[in-house]
Parts: sequence; C-alpha cells; structure tokens
Amino acid sequence: MQSVVLRGNQDGYQLVLDQSAGFEDIKLELRTLLDKLAADATTTSTISFDVLTANRLMTQDENQALSKIISSYEHFTIHKIIADVITIADATRLKEQDNVHLVTQTIRNGQTLTMKGDVLFLGVINEGGRLLTSGNLFIMGTVLGIAQAGFPSNEEKVVMGELAKAQQVRIGEQISIVEADQPEPDFQTVAYVNDLHVLEYGKLSDLKTINPKLYHQIGG
Amino acid sequence: MGKSIVITSGKGGVGKTTSSANIGTALALMGKRVCLVDLDIGLRNLDVVLGLDNRIIYDIVDVVEGRAKLAQALVKDKRFDDLLYLLPAAQNADKTALNEEQAKEIVDELKNDFDYVILDCPAGIEQGFLNAVAGADTAIIVTTPEISAVRDADRVVGLLEKNPLKEESHLLINRIRGHMMAEGDVMDIDEITHHLGVPLLGIIVDDDEVIATSNRGEPVVLETENPAGHGYRDIARRIEGETVPLMKIQGTKPSFWSRIGHWFRRG
Repeated sequence: MQSVVLRGNQDGYQLVLDQSAGFEDIKLELRTLLDKLAADATTTSTISFDVLTANRLMTQDENQALSKIISSYEHFTIHKIIADVITIADATRLKEQDNVHLVTQTIRNGQTLTMKGDVLFLGVINEGGRLLTSGNLFIMGTVLGIAQAGFPSNEEKVVMGELAKAQQVRIGEQISIVEADQPEPDFQTVAYVNDLHVLEYGKLSDLKTINPKLYHQIGG
Repeated sequence: MGKSIVITSGKGGVGKTTSSANIGTALALMGKRVCLVDLDIGLRNLDVVLGLDNRIIYDIVDVVEGRAKLAQALVKDKRFDDLLYLLPAAQNADKTALNEEQAKEIVDELKNDFDYVILDCPAGIEQGFLNAVAGADTAIIVTTPEISAVRDADRVVGLLEKNPLKEESHLLINRIRGHMMAEGDVMDIDEITHHLGVPLLGIIVDDDEVIATSNRGEPVVLETENPAGHGYRDIARRIEGETVPLMKIQGTKPSFWSRIGHWFRRG
C-alpha cells in the first residue's frame, strides 16, 4: 500500500496522502517520489501541488514539515493543503456563523448577551441590558436597552425591527443614541451604516439599496 | 424545616428593612415562629425598626467568629410570646466579615428552629447581597414605582435568574401613591409587574404612619386600621398560601382591582 500517490487532472497535480499511513512513512515516501520526479523532469517550469490529506487533520508542525520537503526541490511548490475534515471547534464556528439564532430570553439591566452570527430576537431587552452579535440582528421582541449588530467592528451588518424605544442602536463601532436620533416608530425600521460611516435609519422596503448583499442573501 | 426568604431590592431606601420587620411581625401574628436576620452589617437598623436595639448583646459576626452561640445572639421580641426573634447585624465590622458559606450555615441552622427565616439584605449587589441570597430559599424583591428602583430591581432579578433560588422570586411594590399612579406620573402596578416579569406578591401604599411607627419601634402591621399594615398582613397570608385579592388603592383606575397577586405556597 502506497502512502503517497501522485495524481494529475485538469486542476493540476495532486499528492494524495493515505490517511492511515504514519507521518514518518509519508515523509519518506514523499521524498522518494519527489526524487524520482525531479530526476525525470523534462521541463524547467515550476510544478505546484495540491496536497490532499483525506480524513487526516494535520498539525501546524506537520504542515510545515511537508512544505519544507516539497520546497526543498527547485521546481516544486505547495499550492494548498486540503483535508476532508475539520475540527469540531471549526465546525461549530461555521455553524454559528451561518445559522440564524433564536433568542427568546429577557435581557435585564446590567446583563450582556453576546452572540455569533445572525440573531432573531423574540425576547425583551430591558433598559440597561445589551444584546451584541457579530451578524445581523432581526428584532421581533422589545428593545428598551442596547442592540448591537456587527460586534465588534463590522459595519456591513444591520439591525431590523422596532427600535424607537431602545436606548442605543450600535453597528460595528457606530453608535446611535435613539433619543437624539429619533427613528420613527415602525417595526420595519432598518438601522445601517452608510457610506459616510454614520448610523442611519431606513425602511425595510429600501433594503435592496441599503444593503444589496443581505437583500439577496435573504432571498428578497 | 422552615423556609428562608430574602428581602432584597438593589436600590437603597425602598423599604427592605421596613418590609422585613413587617412581614416577619405579620407572620408571627399568625402564630408562626419567625427569625429576622439583619445582614446589613455595619449599618444595622432592623433592630431599631423593631424596637429591640437596646437589648442586643451579641451579633451575627460574634456567632461567626465563635464568640457566641447562635442561640445566645438571638434577641427575643417579648410582644410575641416566643414567636419572633432577631439575629442582629454587627455595627463595627463590614460586609466582608461574613462570607456566603457562613451565612448559609447560620440560615440553615435557624431553619431547623423556625417556620420562617427572613433575611434583610443590604442595598447593593456586592458581598452583602451574595451573603443574603446564599442561604435563601426564595426572594421578595422590593421596589417602588420610581424608575430608578425598578431598574435596580430588574438588575437584581437578572442576578437571581442567573443563580436561581429553590423557589421563584416574588415582587413587592412599596410606597404606592394612588393619585400619582392615577395621573400616570409613575408606572402603575401592572406596568411594573409586567416589566420585571416577576409574579406580584403584594402592594403597600405610602403612608406617614409607616415612618411614625417605625420611629417608635412598633411595626405598622400592628395597627389594625392602617392600609400599609393591612398590605403587609395580606402579604403574610399569601406567603402562608392563602388566596387574598389585591387591595384597592385610593384614586387609581379600577382596571387592576380585579387582579389577584401571586403567592407563595409553603414547600
């Protein structure tokens, strides 16, 4: 059983590493294979390999060891290292980013709820409470406190819903004091950051012009 | 095994101590054995409100530090035939003289001897608050119709939700002025209850007698005709599991008269 297999297709050259082989064997076989290739090489142009590790997650050190071996040959480089698997932590992070999270709780004075990704909020934020999320914030509940989308610094996100009773609306680093800015009472309010980096209030019907990316994402 | 109830609020001056004294006294009037515990170490005054200040020999810090047995530190209220006792706070120590485990230990010991252990919590949400909550089975959150008091109550409800007690907390709205509520100058009872999302245990109207009686060291609940005293007696009955309709308030809209507060059931 070979632990390193060279494949070629229209995307270029691929080095497929057997997921059950030991890493030392792989290194050894890789050297043998590349030695042979280097000896046979008829061109002088650089060949760039995709390294496929299948169901093996390589550590940073292993990645570096591979890079070192391959780049020690004059005409060979690594294009990228691709695994078919990711860690649970990464998977969770991906899932967090893509899901719309439902939040139904009451966020009280002095409490801060920090979320990742988009949030559909059905609860109550009391005065002094804060709801922060890295994504967009869609509000069907009541906001009497502080609502922040794009936490901590993404100004491309929006806060949607009834915001007239909130204390503050924040997007990224931009802050609107609701009492001073007085958005109209409307459950279809969209708070966003405009080209001048100022937090502004618009209407849901104008979302296409306000934030085309989000508009297409939600299939409007 | 008795039940321990912490009387807390977050904000100062909303009537925690007065409420502790009156609820405790009302329960004693119903024939229950009650121990009031003053946890406002450094600024004790539950003893003054009860008129027991000149009988104090030992205090809670003496008990914790082993200078006195718990039974020695309890001050008996002679008006109530062996039913009402006070464990006074220390004057010359601060809130850090006690920690949560010590407070819980004392409360647990008292629960063996009494039907109710009422814990008078200091203002704030620091060590004193943590001590008071540590030994409690349930909480009564005292607020007034003022926004600042409601905000602080909201904060405290949040803290209690994070570390839930054995039983659900209840709300006591104190210092209600009927005409101000009727005119919409302050939040009304429904608004406060709904805003805090905590079941209502009872309401107490603002009455000059509350201050006058506490200055004499006689809880207002002893005055049979007084509306504030009536409110505290209703609360005590609800704590005992009775169904008591919410009292009428002079000068307010009739909409919430029909409302019945929620009450405790003894576990």
